[in-house]
Amino acid sequence: MNDSLLSSWVEWTPALLDGLWTSLQLTGGSLAIGIPGGLLLALLMSGRSRVVKAVAIVLVEIGRGMPALVVLQLVYFGLPSAGLTFGPFLAATAALALTTAAYTSEILRAGLQAVPAGEVEAAAALGMSHRDSLRYVVIPQGVRVAIPALLGFSIQIFQATSLTFTIAVPELLGQAYSIGAATFRYLDVLVLAGLVYLAVVLPAGSITRLLERRMGRHL
Amino acid sequence: MTLTTGTSVVSLRGIRKEFGDHVAVRDVSLEVPAGEVVAIIGPSGSGKSTLLRCINLLERPEAGRIEVLGQAVEPQGGVSAAELAKLRRGVGMVFQSFNLFPHLTVLRNISLPQERVLGRSRKEADARSLQLLERVGLADKGASYPSRCSGGQQQRVAIARALALDPQVMLFDEPTSALDPELGLEVLAVMRELAADGMTMVVVTHEIQFAADVADRVVVMADGAIIEQGPPSVVLTAPTVERTKKFLRAVMDR
Ligand SMILES: Nc1ncnc2c1ncn2[C@@H]1O[C@H](COP(=O)(O)OP(=O)(O)OP(=O)(O)O)[C@@H](O)[C@H]1O
Ligand SMILES: [Mg+2]
Repeated sequence: MNDSLLSSWVEWTPALLDGLWTSLQLTGGSLAIGIPGGLLLALLMSGRSRVVKAVAIVLVEIGRGMPALVVLQLVYFGLPSAGLTFGPFLAATAALALTTAAYTSEILRAGLQAVPAGEVEAAAALGMSHRDSLRYVVIPQGVRVAIPALLGFSIQIFQATSLTFTIAVPELLGQAYSIGAATFRYLDVLVLAGLVYLAVVLPAGSITRLLERRMGRHL
Repeated sequence: MTLTTGTSVVSLRGIRKEFGDHVAVRDVSLEVPAGEVVAIIGPSGSGKSTLLRCINLLERPEAGRIEVLGQAVEPQGGVSAAELAKLRRGVGMVFQSFNLFPHLTVLRNISLPQERVLGRSRKEADARSLQLLERVGLADKGASYPSRCSGGQQQRVAIARALALDPQVMLFDEPTSALDPELGLEVLAVMRELAADGMTMVVVTHEIQFAADVADRVVVMADGAIIEQGPPSVVLTAPTVERTKKFLRAVMDR
Protein backbone atom coordinates (compact mmCIF):
# COMPACT_ATOMS: atom_id res chain seq x y z
CA MET A 1 0.00 0.00 0.00
CA ASN A 2 1.44 3.35 -0.88
CA ASP A 3 0.50 6.97 -1.23
CA SER A 4 0.18 6.78 -4.98
CA LEU A 5 -2.52 4.09 -4.76
CA LEU A 6 -4.47 6.00 -2.15
CA SER A 7 -4.25 9.29 -4.01
CA SER A 8 -5.29 7.58 -7.25
CA TRP A 9 -8.28 6.08 -5.47
CA VAL A 10 -9.23 9.50 -4.18
CA GLU A 11 -8.84 10.85 -7.69
CA TRP A 12 -11.00 8.07 -9.23
CA THR A 13 -13.70 8.09 -6.62
CA PRO A 14 -15.91 10.83 -8.14
CA ALA A 15 -16.06 9.01 -11.48
CA LEU A 16 -16.85 5.73 -9.77
CA LEU A 17 -19.57 7.35 -7.66
CA ASP A 18 -21.07 8.71 -10.87
CA GLY A 19 -21.01 5.15 -12.14
CA LEU A 20 -22.58 3.90 -8.90
CA TRP A 21 -25.38 6.40 -9.32
CA THR A 22 -26.02 5.06 -12.83
CA SER A 23 -25.96 1.47 -11.48
CA LEU A 24 -28.50 2.39 -8.80
CA GLN A 25 -30.73 4.11 -11.35
CA LEU A 26 -30.56 1.03 -13.55
CA THR A 27 -31.41 -1.16 -10.58
CA GLY A 28 -34.30 1.08 -9.57
CA GLY A 29 -35.67 1.25 -13.11
CA SER A 30 -35.43 -2.50 -13.68
CA LEU A 31 -37.17 -3.24 -10.39
CA ALA A 32 -39.84 -0.59 -10.87
CA ILE A 33 -40.81 -2.13 -14.21
CA GLY A 34 -39.83 -5.74 -13.55
CA ILE A 35 -41.55 -6.41 -10.21
CA PRO A 36 -45.02 -5.31 -11.35
CA GLY A 37 -44.32 -7.37 -14.46
CA GLY A 38 -43.45 -10.31 -12.23
CA LEU A 39 -46.66 -9.85 -10.26
CA LEU A 40 -48.64 -9.78 -13.48
CA LEU A 41 -46.94 -12.98 -14.66
CA ALA A 42 -47.58 -14.61 -11.27
CA LEU A 43 -51.26 -13.72 -11.45
CA LEU A 44 -51.52 -14.97 -15.03
CA MET A 45 -49.81 -18.22 -14.08
CA SER A 46 -52.29 -18.84 -11.27
CA GLY A 47 -55.25 -17.72 -13.39
CA ARG A 48 -57.96 -19.84 -14.90
CA SER A 49 -57.32 -19.62 -18.62
CA ARG A 50 -55.03 -22.39 -19.84
CA VAL A 51 -53.80 -20.43 -22.84
CA VAL A 52 -52.89 -17.38 -20.77
CA LYS A 53 -51.21 -19.63 -18.23
CA ALA A 54 -49.16 -21.33 -20.93
CA VAL A 55 -48.05 -18.02 -22.44
CA ALA A 56 -46.99 -16.74 -19.01
CA ILE A 57 -45.06 -19.91 -18.25
CA VAL A 58 -43.23 -19.75 -21.58
CA LEU A 59 -42.27 -16.10 -20.97
CA VAL A 60 -40.99 -16.94 -17.49
CA GLU A 61 -39.02 -19.94 -18.68
CA ILE A 62 -37.38 -17.89 -21.44
CA GLY A 63 -36.62 -15.06 -19.04
CA ARG A 64 -35.06 -17.40 -16.51
CA GLY A 65 -33.43 -19.72 -18.95
CA MET A 66 -31.56 -17.07 -20.91
CA PRO A 67 -28.52 -15.56 -19.20
CA ALA A 68 -29.04 -11.88 -18.41
CA LEU A 69 -26.04 -11.06 -20.58
CA VAL A 70 -27.69 -12.69 -23.60
CA VAL A 71 -30.99 -10.87 -23.02
CA LEU A 72 -29.06 -7.65 -22.77
CA GLN A 73 -27.21 -8.19 -26.02
CA LEU A 74 -30.38 -9.32 -27.79
CA VAL A 75 -32.23 -6.18 -26.75
CA TYR A 76 -29.37 -3.87 -27.60
CA PHE A 77 -28.09 -5.42 -30.82
CA GLY A 78 -31.07 -7.51 -31.88
CA LEU A 79 -34.02 -5.13 -31.64
CA PRO A 80 -32.55 -2.44 -33.89
CA SER A 81 -32.70 -4.95 -36.73
CA ALA A 82 -36.42 -5.16 -36.01
CA GLY A 83 -36.59 -1.38 -36.30
CA LEU A 84 -36.50 -0.67 -32.54
CA THR A 85 -33.51 1.29 -31.35
CA PHE A 86 -32.80 2.09 -27.71
CA GLY A 87 -29.96 3.99 -26.17
CA PRO A 88 -27.71 1.86 -23.97
CA PHE A 89 -29.37 2.94 -20.72
CA LEU A 90 -32.90 2.19 -21.93
CA ALA A 91 -31.84 -1.10 -23.49
CA ALA A 92 -30.14 -2.11 -20.26
CA THR A 93 -33.20 -1.17 -18.20
CA ALA A 94 -35.51 -3.09 -20.52
CA ALA A 95 -33.32 -6.19 -20.52
CA LEU A 96 -32.85 -6.26 -16.76
CA ALA A 97 -36.56 -5.58 -16.25
CA LEU A 98 -37.36 -8.66 -18.34
CA THR A 99 -35.03 -10.79 -16.25
CA THR A 100 -36.49 -9.27 -13.08
CA ALA A 101 -40.04 -10.02 -14.18
CA ALA A 102 -39.20 -13.63 -14.93
CA TYR A 103 -37.43 -14.28 -11.63
CA THR A 104 -39.72 -12.30 -9.34
CA SER A 105 -42.79 -13.96 -10.85
CA GLU A 106 -41.70 -17.18 -9.14
CA ILE A 107 -41.00 -15.40 -5.86
CA LEU A 108 -44.36 -13.64 -5.97
CA ARG A 109 -46.22 -16.76 -7.01
CA ALA A 110 -44.89 -18.54 -3.93
CA GLY A 111 -45.96 -15.54 -1.83
CA LEU A 112 -49.49 -15.56 -3.28
CA GLN A 113 -49.79 -19.28 -2.68
CA ALA A 114 -48.81 -18.79 0.96
CA VAL A 115 -52.10 -16.95 1.59
CA PRO A 116 -54.40 -19.48 3.28
CA ALA A 117 -57.17 -20.84 1.07
CA GLY A 118 -59.63 -20.28 3.93
CA GLU A 119 -59.24 -16.53 3.61
CA VAL A 120 -59.95 -16.65 -0.10
CA GLU A 121 -63.04 -18.73 0.66
CA ALA A 122 -64.12 -16.26 3.32
CA ALA A 123 -63.81 -13.43 0.80
CA ALA A 124 -65.88 -15.42 -1.69
CA ALA A 125 -68.50 -16.26 0.94
CA LEU A 126 -68.74 -12.57 1.80
CA GLY A 127 -69.64 -11.95 -1.83
CA MET A 128 -66.39 -10.24 -2.77
CA SER A 129 -65.48 -10.56 -6.43
CA HIS A 130 -62.47 -12.61 -7.49
CA ARG A 131 -60.78 -9.36 -8.40
CA ASP A 132 -61.43 -7.74 -5.02
CA SER A 133 -60.29 -10.86 -3.26
CA LEU A 134 -56.99 -10.66 -5.14
CA ARG A 135 -56.66 -6.94 -4.66
CA TYR A 136 -57.50 -6.68 -0.98
CA VAL A 137 -56.73 -10.10 0.48
CA VAL A 138 -54.29 -12.13 -1.61
CA ILE A 139 -51.92 -9.58 -3.18
CA PRO A 140 -51.22 -7.47 -0.08
CA GLN A 141 -50.37 -10.53 1.96
CA GLY A 142 -48.60 -12.41 -0.82
CA VAL A 143 -46.38 -9.44 -1.64
CA ARG A 144 -45.60 -8.94 2.04
CA VAL A 145 -44.50 -12.55 2.32
CA ALA A 146 -42.32 -12.10 -0.75
CA ILE A 147 -40.56 -8.90 0.34
CA PRO A 148 -37.43 -10.46 1.89
CA ALA A 149 -36.86 -12.65 -1.17
CA LEU A 150 -37.52 -9.67 -3.45
CA LEU A 151 -34.91 -7.64 -1.58
CA GLY A 152 -32.46 -10.50 -1.93
CA PHE A 153 -33.16 -10.56 -5.64
CA SER A 154 -32.77 -6.78 -5.88
CA ILE A 155 -29.22 -7.14 -4.60
CA GLN A 156 -28.52 -9.64 -7.35
CA ILE A 157 -29.94 -7.29 -9.97
CA PHE A 158 -27.77 -4.50 -8.62
CA GLN A 159 -24.77 -6.77 -9.15
CA ALA A 160 -26.06 -7.75 -12.58
CA THR A 161 -26.04 -4.09 -13.69
CA SER A 162 -22.28 -4.58 -14.06
CA LEU A 163 -23.04 -6.67 -17.15
CA THR A 164 -24.27 -3.57 -18.92
CA PHE A 165 -20.73 -2.24 -19.33
CA THR A 166 -20.69 -4.57 -22.34
CA ILE A 167 -23.13 -2.25 -24.12
CA ALA A 168 -21.26 0.86 -22.96
CA VAL A 169 -23.52 1.95 -20.13
CA PRO A 170 -21.37 4.20 -17.93
CA GLU A 171 -22.24 2.40 -14.72
CA LEU A 172 -19.81 1.53 -11.96
CA LEU A 173 -17.88 -1.22 -13.73
CA GLY A 174 -18.00 0.71 -17.01
CA GLN A 175 -16.44 3.74 -15.33
CA ALA A 176 -13.77 1.53 -13.78
CA TYR A 177 -12.93 0.09 -17.20
CA SER A 178 -12.65 3.56 -18.70
CA ILE A 179 -10.23 4.56 -15.99
CA GLY A 180 -8.34 1.31 -16.46
CA ALA A 181 -8.10 1.92 -20.20
CA ALA A 182 -6.77 5.43 -19.63
CA THR A 183 -4.26 4.55 -16.91
CA PHE A 184 -3.50 0.88 -17.59
CA ARG A 185 -4.04 0.30 -13.87
CA TYR A 186 -6.95 -2.14 -14.27
CA LEU A 187 -6.24 -4.05 -11.10
CA ASP A 188 -6.06 -0.96 -8.88
CA VAL A 189 -9.27 0.53 -10.16
CA LEU A 190 -11.16 -2.79 -10.17
CA VAL A 191 -10.27 -3.33 -6.51
CA LEU A 192 -11.78 0.06 -5.71
CA ALA A 193 -14.87 -0.70 -7.80
CA GLY A 194 -15.22 -4.03 -5.98
CA LEU A 195 -15.07 -2.23 -2.64
CA VAL A 196 -17.80 0.17 -3.76
CA TYR A 197 -20.03 -2.80 -4.75
CA LEU A 198 -19.39 -4.36 -1.36
CA ALA A 199 -20.17 -1.11 0.44
CA VAL A 200 -23.68 -1.25 -1.08
CA VAL A 201 -24.32 -4.98 -1.02
CA LEU A 202 -23.24 -5.82 2.52
CA PRO A 203 -25.49 -3.30 4.32
CA ALA A 204 -28.35 -4.12 1.95
CA GLY A 205 -27.93 -7.78 2.85
CA SER A 206 -28.16 -7.09 6.57
CA ILE A 207 -31.23 -4.91 6.08
CA THR A 208 -32.83 -7.78 4.16
CA ARG A 209 -32.14 -10.21 6.99
CA LEU A 210 -33.44 -7.73 9.55
CA LEU A 211 -36.68 -7.28 7.60
CA GLU A 212 -37.03 -11.01 7.20
CA ARG A 213 -37.08 -11.35 10.98
CA ARG A 214 -39.55 -8.52 11.47
CA MET A 215 -41.94 -9.56 8.69
CA GLY A 216 -43.74 -12.29 10.63
CA ARG A 217 -46.01 -9.84 12.43
CA HIS A 218 -49.74 -9.99 11.76
CA LEU A 219 -49.27 -12.87 9.37
CA MET B 1 -86.12 -7.40 1.63
CA THR B 2 -88.72 -8.75 4.01
CA LEU B 3 -89.82 -12.30 4.28
CA THR B 4 -92.98 -13.48 5.87
CA THR B 5 -92.63 -16.44 8.15
CA GLY B 6 -93.30 -19.64 6.32
CA THR B 7 -91.39 -18.71 3.15
CA SER B 8 -88.30 -20.81 2.57
CA VAL B 9 -85.11 -18.80 2.81
CA VAL B 10 -83.08 -21.76 1.65
CA SER B 11 -84.45 -24.55 -0.46
CA LEU B 12 -82.27 -27.44 -1.58
CA ARG B 13 -83.62 -30.09 -3.94
CA GLY B 14 -81.84 -33.29 -4.79
CA ILE B 15 -78.35 -31.99 -4.07
CA ARG B 16 -75.58 -34.35 -5.06
CA LYS B 17 -71.90 -33.60 -4.64
CA GLU B 18 -69.08 -35.90 -5.67
CA PHE B 19 -65.35 -35.67 -5.08
CA GLY B 20 -63.82 -37.93 -7.70
CA ASP B 21 -65.70 -41.19 -7.35
CA HIS B 22 -66.59 -40.47 -3.71
CA VAL B 23 -70.15 -39.23 -3.20
CA ALA B 24 -70.04 -36.72 -0.33
CA VAL B 25 -73.71 -35.64 -0.52
CA ARG B 26 -76.31 -37.86 -2.14
CA ASP B 27 -79.61 -36.36 -3.27
CA VAL B 28 -80.31 -34.25 -0.22
CA SER B 29 -83.32 -31.94 -0.02
CA LEU B 30 -83.75 -29.39 2.73
CA GLU B 31 -86.11 -26.48 3.28
CA VAL B 32 -85.24 -23.76 5.75
CA PRO B 33 -88.12 -21.40 6.47
CA ALA B 34 -87.49 -17.80 7.58
CA GLY B 35 -86.54 -17.52 11.21
CA GLU B 36 -85.79 -21.19 11.66
CA VAL B 37 -82.61 -22.47 13.30
CA VAL B 38 -81.53 -25.78 11.83
CA ALA B 39 -78.75 -27.79 13.46
CA ILE B 40 -77.00 -30.36 11.29
CA ILE B 41 -75.28 -33.12 13.24
CA GLY B 42 -73.72 -36.43 12.28
CA PRO B 43 -70.49 -38.36 12.27
CA SER B 44 -67.28 -37.04 10.74
CA GLY B 45 -67.23 -37.33 6.97
CA SER B 46 -71.01 -37.59 6.67
CA GLY B 47 -71.15 -34.58 4.33
CA LYS B 48 -72.36 -31.86 6.72
CA SER B 49 -69.82 -29.25 5.67
CA THR B 50 -70.16 -30.14 2.02
CA LEU B 51 -73.93 -29.69 2.15
CA LEU B 52 -73.59 -26.36 3.96
CA ARG B 53 -71.02 -25.17 1.43
CA CYS B 54 -73.36 -26.05 -1.42
CA ILE B 55 -75.85 -23.46 -0.13
CA ASN B 56 -73.55 -20.53 -1.03
CA LEU B 57 -71.88 -22.46 -3.83
CA LEU B 58 -68.45 -22.75 -2.25
CA GLU B 59 -68.99 -26.25 -3.58
CA ARG B 60 -70.70 -26.76 -6.94
CA PRO B 61 -73.06 -29.71 -6.73
CA GLU B 62 -73.15 -32.18 -9.62
CA ALA B 63 -76.92 -32.30 -9.49
CA GLY B 64 -79.78 -30.52 -7.80
CA ARG B 65 -81.38 -27.13 -7.48
CA ILE B 66 -80.56 -24.43 -4.97
CA GLU B 67 -82.94 -21.62 -4.16
CA VAL B 68 -81.89 -18.86 -1.81
CA LEU B 69 -84.28 -15.99 -1.06
CA GLY B 70 -86.31 -16.83 -4.12
CA GLN B 71 -83.32 -16.89 -6.48
CA ALA B 72 -82.92 -20.32 -8.04
CA VAL B 73 -79.72 -21.67 -9.54
CA GLU B 74 -78.94 -24.95 -11.17
CA PRO B 75 -75.18 -25.06 -10.71
CA GLN B 76 -74.53 -27.83 -13.19
CA GLY B 77 -75.81 -25.48 -15.91
CA GLY B 78 -73.18 -22.88 -14.98
CA VAL B 79 -73.55 -19.87 -12.70
CA SER B 80 -72.65 -16.35 -13.81
CA ALA B 81 -70.56 -14.09 -11.59
CA ALA B 82 -73.59 -11.83 -11.17
CA GLU B 83 -75.83 -14.70 -10.04
CA LEU B 84 -73.16 -15.86 -7.64
CA ALA B 85 -72.73 -12.38 -6.17
CA LYS B 86 -76.48 -11.98 -5.75
CA LEU B 87 -76.85 -15.35 -4.06
CA ARG B 88 -73.97 -14.80 -1.68
CA ARG B 89 -75.13 -11.33 -0.77
CA GLY B 90 -78.02 -12.80 1.19
CA VAL B 91 -76.00 -15.53 2.86
CA GLY B 92 -73.47 -15.06 5.67
CA MET B 93 -71.01 -17.77 6.57
CA VAL B 94 -68.83 -18.47 9.59
CA PHE B 95 -66.04 -21.04 9.38
CA GLN B 96 -64.44 -23.31 11.91
CA SER B 97 -61.09 -21.57 11.36
CA PHE B 98 -62.45 -17.96 11.55
CA ASN B 99 -60.60 -16.92 8.38
CA LEU B 100 -60.18 -13.29 9.33
CA PHE B 101 -57.84 -11.27 7.12
CA PRO B 102 -54.71 -11.08 9.31
CA HIS B 103 -53.19 -8.04 7.59
CA LEU B 104 -56.23 -5.88 8.40
CA THR B 105 -57.41 -4.56 11.76
CA VAL B 106 -60.58 -5.96 13.25
CA LEU B 107 -62.47 -2.87 12.12
CA ARG B 108 -61.15 -3.10 8.54
CA ASN B 109 -62.04 -6.79 8.44
CA ILE B 110 -65.67 -5.84 9.02
CA SER B 111 -65.76 -2.63 7.00
CA LEU B 112 -63.92 -3.66 3.83
CA PRO B 113 -66.53 -6.20 2.61
CA GLN B 114 -69.31 -3.67 3.23
CA GLU B 115 -67.49 -1.14 1.07
CA ARG B 116 -66.69 -3.57 -1.71
CA VAL B 117 -69.88 -5.63 -1.75
CA LEU B 118 -72.57 -3.16 -0.70
CA GLY B 119 -70.84 0.03 -1.86
CA ARG B 120 -71.12 1.67 1.55
CA SER B 121 -68.86 4.62 2.23
CA ARG B 122 -66.03 4.08 4.67
CA LYS B 123 -67.83 6.19 7.24
CA GLU B 124 -71.10 4.27 6.94
CA ALA B 125 -69.26 0.98 7.00
CA ASP B 126 -67.22 1.85 10.07
CA ALA B 127 -70.32 3.02 11.92
CA ARG B 128 -72.04 -0.28 11.18
CA SER B 129 -68.89 -2.23 12.13
CA LEU B 130 -68.63 -0.50 15.50
CA GLN B 131 -72.28 -1.18 16.16
CA LEU B 132 -71.75 -4.89 15.45
CA LEU B 133 -68.53 -5.06 17.46
CA GLU B 134 -70.51 -3.76 20.39
CA ARG B 135 -73.17 -6.35 19.78
CA VAL B 136 -70.61 -9.19 19.92
CA GLY B 137 -68.97 -7.66 23.00
CA LEU B 138 -65.79 -6.40 21.33
CA ALA B 139 -66.32 -2.65 21.15
CA ASP B 140 -62.73 -2.02 22.29
CA LYS B 141 -61.07 -4.34 19.75
CA GLY B 142 -61.57 -2.39 16.52
CA ALA B 143 -57.98 -1.20 16.23
CA SER B 144 -56.43 -4.57 17.11
CA TYR B 145 -55.09 -7.04 14.59
CA PRO B 146 -56.65 -10.51 14.62
CA SER B 147 -53.39 -11.99 15.89
CA ARG B 148 -53.90 -9.98 19.08
CA CYS B 149 -57.33 -11.55 19.66
CA SER B 150 -58.18 -14.86 21.28
CA GLY B 151 -59.84 -17.52 19.16
CA GLY B 152 -63.21 -16.76 20.70
CA GLN B 153 -62.78 -13.07 19.95
CA GLN B 154 -61.70 -13.81 16.39
CA GLN B 155 -64.76 -15.95 15.82
CA ARG B 156 -67.03 -13.21 17.17
CA VAL B 157 -65.35 -10.76 14.79
CA ALA B 158 -66.00 -13.22 11.96
CA ILE B 159 -69.68 -13.29 12.95
CA ALA B 160 -69.79 -9.49 13.01
CA ARG B 161 -68.09 -9.39 9.59
CA ALA B 162 -70.76 -11.63 8.12
CA LEU B 163 -73.64 -9.79 9.83
CA ALA B 164 -72.36 -6.44 8.56
CA LEU B 165 -73.59 -7.39 5.08
CA ASP B 166 -77.14 -7.76 6.41
CA PRO B 167 -77.60 -11.40 5.39
CA GLN B 168 -80.99 -13.07 5.49
CA VAL B 169 -79.51 -16.39 6.57
CA MET B 170 -76.34 -17.33 8.44
CA LEU B 171 -74.41 -20.55 7.87
CA PHE B 172 -72.12 -21.82 10.60
CA ASP B 173 -69.66 -24.67 10.07
CA GLU B 174 -68.59 -25.96 13.49
CA PRO B 175 -67.91 -22.43 14.74
CA THR B 176 -66.65 -23.59 18.14
CA SER B 177 -64.68 -26.71 17.21
CA ALA B 178 -61.35 -24.92 17.11
CA LEU B 179 -61.92 -23.27 20.49
CA ASP B 180 -61.33 -24.13 24.13
CA PRO B 181 -64.66 -24.77 25.84
CA GLU B 182 -64.81 -21.41 27.68
CA LEU B 183 -64.04 -19.50 24.52
CA GLY B 184 -66.62 -21.58 22.68
CA LEU B 185 -69.22 -20.45 25.20
CA GLU B 186 -68.79 -16.77 24.34
CA VAL B 187 -69.30 -17.60 20.67
CA LEU B 188 -72.36 -19.74 21.42
CA ALA B 189 -73.77 -16.89 23.50
CA VAL B 190 -73.58 -14.58 20.49
CA MET B 191 -75.24 -17.23 18.34
CA ARG B 192 -78.02 -17.70 20.87
CA GLU B 193 -78.76 -13.98 20.78
CA LEU B 194 -78.77 -14.02 17.03
CA ALA B 195 -81.28 -16.88 17.03
CA ALA B 196 -83.40 -15.08 19.59
CA ASP B 197 -83.43 -12.03 17.30
CA GLY B 198 -85.03 -14.19 14.63
CA MET B 199 -82.08 -14.82 12.31
CA THR B 200 -82.48 -17.79 10.01
CA MET B 201 -79.55 -20.09 10.77
CA VAL B 202 -78.09 -23.36 9.54
CA VAL B 203 -75.52 -24.62 12.03
CA VAL B 204 -73.28 -27.63 11.57
CA THR B 205 -72.28 -28.49 15.10
CA HIS B 206 -71.03 -31.07 17.52
CA GLU B 207 -72.48 -29.06 20.41
CA ILE B 208 -75.48 -31.22 21.21
CA GLN B 209 -76.48 -28.98 24.10
CA PHE B 210 -76.54 -25.95 21.82
CA ALA B 211 -78.64 -27.87 19.30
CA ALA B 212 -81.02 -28.93 22.06
CA ASP B 213 -81.41 -25.39 23.40
CA VAL B 214 -81.42 -23.27 20.28
CA ALA B 215 -82.37 -25.32 17.23
CA ASP B 216 -85.94 -25.55 16.02
CA ARG B 217 -85.01 -28.60 14.02
CA VAL B 218 -82.17 -31.10 14.14
CA VAL B 219 -81.05 -32.77 10.94
CA VAL B 220 -78.94 -35.91 11.25
CA MET B 221 -76.64 -36.84 8.37
CA ALA B 222 -74.77 -40.06 7.71
CA ASP B 223 -72.97 -41.18 4.57
CA GLY B 224 -73.99 -38.09 2.63
CA ALA B 225 -77.71 -38.39 3.32
CA ILE B 226 -80.22 -37.07 5.85
CA ILE B 227 -81.20 -40.08 7.94
CA GLU B 228 -83.46 -38.39 10.44
CA GLN B 229 -84.81 -34.95 11.26
CA GLY B 230 -87.26 -33.29 13.60
CA PRO B 231 -87.52 -31.13 16.70
CA PRO B 232 -84.57 -31.52 19.07
CA SER B 233 -86.84 -32.85 21.80
CA VAL B 234 -87.57 -35.83 19.57
CA VAL B 235 -84.37 -36.38 17.60
CA LEU B 236 -81.97 -35.85 20.49
CA THR B 237 -83.89 -37.67 23.19
CA ALA B 238 -85.93 -40.29 21.38
CA PRO B 239 -84.34 -40.93 18.00
CA THR B 240 -85.93 -43.63 15.89
CA VAL B 241 -83.05 -44.43 13.56
CA GLU B 242 -80.43 -46.84 14.89
CA ARG B 243 -77.59 -44.90 13.32
CA THR B 244 -78.69 -41.72 15.14
CA LYS B 245 -78.79 -43.52 18.47
CA LYS B 246 -75.30 -44.85 17.92
CA PHE B 247 -73.99 -41.39 16.97
CA LEU B 248 -75.60 -39.68 19.96
CA ARG B 249 -74.22 -42.33 22.34
CA ALA B 250 -70.75 -41.76 20.91
CA VAL B 251 -71.08 -37.98 21.36
CA MET B 252 -72.36 -38.29 24.95
CA ASP B 253 -69.50 -40.63 25.88
CA ARG B 254 -66.94 -38.02 24.92
N1 LIG C 1 -62.38 -30.88 -1.26
C1 LIG C 1 -62.56 -32.21 -1.08
N2 LIG C 1 -61.92 -33.09 -1.88
C2 LIG C 1 -62.09 -34.42 -1.73
N3 LIG C 1 -62.90 -34.98 -0.81
C3 LIG C 1 -63.58 -34.17 0.01
C4 LIG C 1 -63.43 -32.73 -0.07
N4 LIG C 1 -64.22 -32.18 0.87
C5 LIG C 1 -64.81 -33.20 1.51
N5 LIG C 1 -64.43 -34.39 1.00
C6 LIG C 1 -64.90 -35.72 1.42
O1 LIG C 1 -66.31 -35.69 1.44
C7 LIG C 1 -66.82 -36.36 2.56
C8 LIG C 1 -67.69 -35.43 3.35
O2 LIG C 1 -66.88 -34.42 3.90
P1 LIG C 1 -67.45 -33.26 4.82
O3 LIG C 1 -66.31 -32.38 5.11
O4 LIG C 1 -68.64 -32.67 4.21
O5 LIG C 1 -67.86 -34.06 6.14
P2 LIG C 1 -68.34 -33.50 7.53
O6 LIG C 1 -69.61 -34.18 7.84
O7 LIG C 1 -68.34 -32.03 7.52
O8 LIG C 1 -67.21 -34.04 8.50
P3 LIG C 1 -66.53 -33.37 9.79
O9 LIG C 1 -67.48 -33.58 10.93
O10 LIG C 1 -65.27 -34.14 9.96
O11 LIG C 1 -66.29 -31.95 9.47
C9 LIG C 1 -65.62 -36.86 3.34
O12 LIG C 1 -65.41 -38.22 2.99
C10 LIG C 1 -64.51 -36.01 2.85
O13 LIG C 1 -63.28 -36.71 2.90
MG1 LIG D 1 -67.17 -30.54 8.48
